Amino acid sequence: MIKLKIDNADYEVQEGLTILDIARSAGIKIPTLCFNEKLPHFSSCMVCMVKDQKKGNFLPSCSALAQDGMDIDCSSDELKSLRQKAIELLLSEHRAECEAPCKVVCPGGYNIPRMNRLLSAKNFEDAFQLSVSQIKSSGLMCPDCPGYCENACRRKKIDNPVSIRNMQIFVSQQIKMGNSVTGQHYIEKSAKRFASHIGKIEPDELQEWLKECKDVVKRVREISDLTSAAMESESCMHCDCRAVDNCRLRDIADEFSIKDPRGKLVNSPIQKKININTGLIFENAKCIKCGLCVRLCEDSTDEPALCFINRGFVSIISEPLTEDFNDILKTKSKEVVDICPTGALSNLK
Amino acid sequence: MYIEELNTDKSKILTNYCECEQISPMDITSVVDEVVELTGRDPEKVILILQEVQKRLNWLPSEALKHICKVTDITPEQISGVSTFYSQFRHLPVGKHTIKICAGTACHVKGSPLISEAFKRVLKIDNDKNASPDNLFSIEEVACLGCCTLAPVVQIDGKTYGHVKPTQADEIIRDFLISGNQPVNTPESDINEDIDAEIRVGIGSCCVAGGSKEILSEIDNVKGKYNLNIRLKPVGCVGVCNQTPLMEIVTKENIHSRYTNVSKQQVEEILLKHIRPRSLNKRIKGSINDLVDTFLSEEKLSGQVNIPVELREKYLNNFLNHQVHISTKNSGVLSPESYEEYCLSGGFEALLKCIKESDQKSIIKAITDSGLRGRGGAGFPTGKKWGISLLATGNPKYVICNGDEGDPGAFMDRMLLESFPYRVIEGMIIAGFATGANEGIFYIRAEYPLAVTRVRTAIKMCYENGVLGKNIYDSAFSFNAKIFEGAGAFVCGEETALISSLEGKRGTPHLRPPYPAVSGFRGQPTLVNNVETLSIVPWIIMNGSEALNSVGTEKSKGTKVFALAGKISKGGLIEVPMGITIREIVENIGDGIVNGNTFKAVQIGGPSGGCIPASKADTPIDYEELTKMGAMMGSGGMVVLDNTDCMVDMAKYFLTFTHKQSCGKCTFCRIGTKHMLNIITGLTEGKATLEDINELEKLCKYVRDGSLCGLGKTSPNPVLTGLKYFREEYEEHTRGICRANKCRDLIKYIVNDSCTGCTKCSQECPVKAIPFKPYEKHEIDQLICTKCDTCRIVCPENSIEIVNIND
Repeated sequence: MIKLKIDNADYEVQEGLTILDIARSAGIKIPTLCFNEKLPHFSSCMVCMVKDQKKGNFLPSCSALAQDGMDIDCSSDELKSLRQKAIELLLSEHRAECEAPCKVVCPGGYNIPRMNRLLSAKNFEDAFQLSVSQIKSSGLMCPDCPGYCENACRRKKIDNPVSIRNMQIFVSQQIKMGNSVTGQHYIEKSAKRFASHIGKIEPDELQEWLKECKDVVKRVREISDLTSAAMESESCMHCDCRAVDNCRLRDIADEFSIKDPRGKLVNSPIQKKININTGLIFENAKCIKCGLCVRLCEDSTDEPALCFINRGFVSIISEPLTEDFNDILKTKSKEVVDICPTGALSNLK
Repeated sequence: MYIEELNTDKSKILTNYCECEQISPMDITSVVDEVVELTGRDPEKVILILQEVQKRLNWLPSEALKHICKVTDITPEQISGVSTFYSQFRHLPVGKHTIKICAGTACHVKGSPLISEAFKRVLKIDNDKNASPDNLFSIEEVACLGCCTLAPVVQIDGKTYGHVKPTQADEIIRDFLISGNQPVNTPESDINEDIDAEIRVGIGSCCVAGGSKEILSEIDNVKGKYNLNIRLKPVGCVGVCNQTPLMEIVTKENIHSRYTNVSKQQVEEILLKHIRPRSLNKRIKGSINDLVDTFLSEEKLSGQVNIPVELREKYLNNFLNHQVHISTKNSGVLSPESYEEYCLSGGFEALLKCIKESDQKSIIKAITDSGLRGRGGAGFPTGKKWGISLLATGNPKYVICNGDEGDPGAFMDRMLLESFPYRVIEGMIIAGFATGANEGIFYIRAEYPLAVTRVRTAIKMCYENGVLGKNIYDSAFSFNAKIFEGAGAFVCGEETALISSLEGKRGTPHLRPPYPAVSGFRGQPTLVNNVETLSIVPWIIMNGSEALNSVGTEKSKGTKVFALAGKISKGGLIEVPMGITIREIVENIGDGIVNGNTFKAVQIGGPSGGCIPASKADTPIDYEELTKMGAMMGSGGMVVLDNTDCMVDMAKYFLTFTHKQSCGKCTFCRIGTKHMLNIITGLTEGKATLEDINELEKLCKYVRDGSLCGLGKTSPNPVLTGLKYFREEYEEHTRGICRANKCRDLIKYIVNDSCTGCTKCSQECPVKAIPFKPYEKHEIDQLICTKCDTCRIVCPENSIEIVNIND
């Protein structure tokens, strides 16, 4: 047994435990990103930093072993600012958007990308429900709105914006026309959350979003029926992040009340890799290089997985050089998506 | 600069070099099979396999990688991660010859970026595609070739060119294509005892780069021609590395005569001056020669100048007498590869003493008492480390000699391994004996081929003579040693990263504890010691701990080897006692600054260290004192800077290096250094503000506190010391002023009134920025000028000036 102090409280613990282990079981909150209790630690994000008061240096608590006589500080302002800086640095190369541009500018905060996806999947029932929950008491705002959404629509930079306004109006009309709506669905416009931005997009990068749509889409401006709505919605490029409500990076950014850093660094171009066999999508610009996905598959030799490529600032997660992205992670696709703390790995659905 | 003046017509430059034969398409799979046959299928061998395959194919096609995965236990993820981590591995085909341009500190301050540009321009290589259009050459900028005293240095395949000027790019390429990289046979030394003289020629990397192999073969020629009764002896580094090649003649009367900058043509004259040919005719011919006899001369003395003996002694005294030789004992005398000579000079006596008369605890006590601290930079007490290793349980235990010296501007470890391989091996065996380890590994960077060869030969000799292997000196102690070649990653100098690399992984460090001494290579107790540390061990054993303890300061004992380079009159490899001041080194040993410039600062400790200003030059060499100054002992690079060096540019240089060499694991080092680099680049371009400087300072502190390993933690040091001692220079850059006229975006080239209109600049300008106006003052078109420095170099009247861009 060894004795140590954490935040001025005394602890007597077994040897071999990390500071994070001890702090967590004592109820002290330390944020983490690259840590997972089931995997060997890696200490990459440095969000879990604590201070060794005796030596005066800082340690990543997820891999720092508790040692006899230590005096650890987990909560000072100094640490808070160091942790905050780590997150800000991660965000400074996070060339990604939490929310789609159309949703951000919508005065009603409508979840436009979700509506588009429901329509293109011909899931009209859920589309109607989404519409109902958005309209609430005030009624649909679209008829009185100049259509900020379409102005912001990224598709506009490629050909024409998606006919969002017409679709919204059409769907709401269907409800009035007596299409059945069951149950109660209320999506409250969430409190102002952290939102990451991309910064400057290069023309080549813009093409990457097209991978989210079918190769050939037929464009319809006026939406007259469900078929045309479904058809037009297929040209939506899915600008919102799939991990919008399920992103540890965003949660932590909120926790620290961080603003998105200006002037993002470009590590490598925005790229969407889609595995046509499993529907796995990898978006490099959202990756924080925590290596959780790599460590998860490290000892499974039966199928090619993900690995680190290159060194330093330009290192990225990638399929092995010898493999095609379509051939990797045949069985572990879901697991890597679940473990990814950001939206870098997600499922095409 | 040893390339000879070639009388080739300039118009022929770069046309029809040679009819380059296409490399025949090789059967990749059979190459891989052949390699795997040699190395085995173990995933730990991945780096070796990749090195061997690349050696045969010149690059790593993905079919090769695929086939390696197929025939070994290496996974696709491992091979991809590893082959892209280390700079040595190429995934694209390259030109037939590789031009390595050294970007080490010493080369940088002497203008290597301009050299690199000149080669790219001459070979028509753009930055993106890394081979010349004829696929004959590709250019690679390497961290450090370890020939700092010959800066700036360029290496084509195995051939090294020193003191290169940007205007010489085409000349060098021509020379290379004409003379090629033909191996020169090094004659074996004779064992004949009855001789008239012994001729010693340095064969350290600097000397070889200076052309010593040609000298050796020429001596052999002359010897045969006149039937001279001499012994030819290749010796290790003497330390006078900027005056290479070196030749020393010791006559049987024991008179030493040393010659520097020897050229092939001078060999005959020099030899005949000292040694009488056996036949009379030839003797007469020999006696009329009276030649330069210089040692450590200021410049290359090419005429018939005889330096008086007293003066020669003074030079010698200044350079050598302030030094204390422990690691470099017998430098310039020992033949590096000769086991017999090392033994004759007292070698392996320390080992014998340990095994026969001592025990583990007393050895460790002796090392502890001596006060020896790790020479790799951080200065951890060596005895304490050995103590932890001895107590650690596990079998087998390992000793690793860390020879992954990657600091640009440092080459001590290379020199020690090249010149004193047996001493380092002996130190390692003693370390093994003292800590109960039976396996030793030399981790040597692949950029040091000569060191690898020497150590390999030495290990072989040690096995043959029974100091390695089973039951050494008939004791129960057995010890094996082997070499592992690093693949080009500076971060692998960090011991945990080094071990990852040995295990065939990406060289990423991890947090200590667990310390390698407890759980290291393959999870076993592993003692990692620096080359220099190990080289001091035999001396301590033989001379006693008190002997080392009496040299140095209170907390730093013994000596430290430094690679002294930069704007200094006499650079080279020096071994000085701890506690000597920086000023003593610069003024006494280095004999001050060249070209009448003023001493500005000393960069110590490379990318982890800092710049100590001339005003603080009385700081003694001591781990704690240097750290207090914001610098660091580091591994011992010492680059002297003068008033023509810009401190912001220096900081940018080091930051570029650490940023490039960061392993990319932890956030602060990976992204933080990028932000710092962006700000500092802004400063050198005159685009940053005072606010940016404050931001930079804050970032430095975050990166120092938040990084995982030594590389990240110390990477802000060059900037922090810059801000501490030269803040006004940083602030000047925000106003677009670079007082050293170094930052290219803040300067321009102009022609002053002394121009005679000789048109030389106009003819040489590679971008035609200077209109041809005979007998008139020339003008430089600022819109076309690329600031390549060519005109300034070629101008015979010093009429080209560098001024601030706004002047």
